[in-house]
Amino acid sequence: MAPHGSRRRASKLRPCANIPPKLRAFIRVQACVWNRVRADGLRLLFLGAMTLGAAFIIASSLAYFDFSELPPFAIEKLPVRFSTLWLASLRVHVTAALVSLPLCILLMTRMVQRRRAVHRWLGRAAGVIILFALAPSGAVLAFDAKGGAFVTAGFLLSDALVAFFMVKGIAAARRRDLVTHRRAMGHVFAQMSVAVTSRAMLMALDVAGVSPDLAYVLALWLPVVGSAAAAEMFYGVWHSKVRFLGRMTHGLSKVVRSLGSWTTSHERSKVALRPRAPARSVVRVGR
Amino acid sequence: MVQRRVEKGLLEPLAQKEKERSRFSRARMPPQERRVRVTQAAVTLDASGRAYMAFAVDVRRGTEWHENDVVGCAYPQTGALFVKHGDAYRPAEILLGKDVDVAPNVCTPAKARS
Repeated sequence: MAPHGSRRRASKLRPCANIPPKLRAFIRVQACVWNRVRADGLRLLFLGAMTLGAAFIIASSLAYFDFSELPPFAIEKLPVRFSTLWLASLRVHVTAALVSLPLCILLMTRMVQRRRAVHRWLGRAAGVIILFALAPSGAVLAFDAKGGAFVTAGFLLSDALVAFFMVKGIAAARRRDLVTHRRAMGHVFAQMSVAVTSRAMLMALDVAGVSPDLAYVLALWLPVVGSAAAAEMFYGVWHSKVRFLGRMTHGLSKVVRSLGSWTTSHERSKVALRPRAPARSVVRVGR
Repeated sequence: MVQRRVEKGLLEPLAQKEKERSRFSRARMPPQERRVRVTQAAVTLDASGRAYMAFAVDVRRGTEWHENDVVGCAYPQTGALFVKHGDAYRPAEILLGKDVDVAPNVCTPAKARS
């Protein structure tokens, strides 16, 4: 009999394995969408929401490329100290974001991750755009952010996290350290997702009647800190610790159970001496 | 009369523009309502000797009214509208997205200038 763990692994490798052949032929499940949704649901949901958000951002950013008019965001901000630099940075930032956000979403899909060459080239493009256009222009814009020093600090923190983890992720990929690469790019994507979550929060807070100034601060800091925490939880040290704790708890419970069964069998052995069954082999299924 | 001019020349086009633009943006959300207040009882003469009247636009967000969201002045004779943007006055078209220059010597009473 195959061990329990290897059976689970086999069904992961062959996602259609647990659908009976007759039913499979009947409903003609192509690529077992349901199994993939069940295994990867949260991730797909998040990527779907990001895609939708990116589409809304692209639609609302078209105003930035109508050079005969000032975009609403610029009307609100101008005049600033270095208005030419500020306006140029705004246009560079918007352009870079419009390209790099969809690229990041694509790079996080399993479909692209499985195709190494495509992943590598798209990753290079995203890296160059983010490091040489998005992050520097974001830093320039941060200094004139509405909401004062606290908001400036929030934008700079997000910008620094993106730049730092992008460099770290690229370095890790170059030395084939995929665990570090995954964690670093998780952080980059998490901070990129702030563009969507922050706007969604601004809309929600407006509907809730929160004052625009407070809403702007909340809709920046909560997504920035929340995304960093989420990235750490899913990809980082915290994730390893949780897994480690999970393993420890599992191991401890096995020890307690075996101790319990030992005492029971010891009590029984006083009545009738019986050979104990060998312990069942444990196969750990890890990522 | 000034109130009507501001409503027609500024508030209505502004509301129309805001209706067309996406709300999924970092730009400030449009208010629920706007109202115009003419803040002078009589006309004032500016440095060029032209008569103007100051106005303010209040906005409602939720249930609260916020006063002086926009301040500016209207020239009843020509119908020209100017709004304060930063420290200077510019034609009201700036709020509709037109890149217009600072208008010198408008909305400032003659005696206030040194």
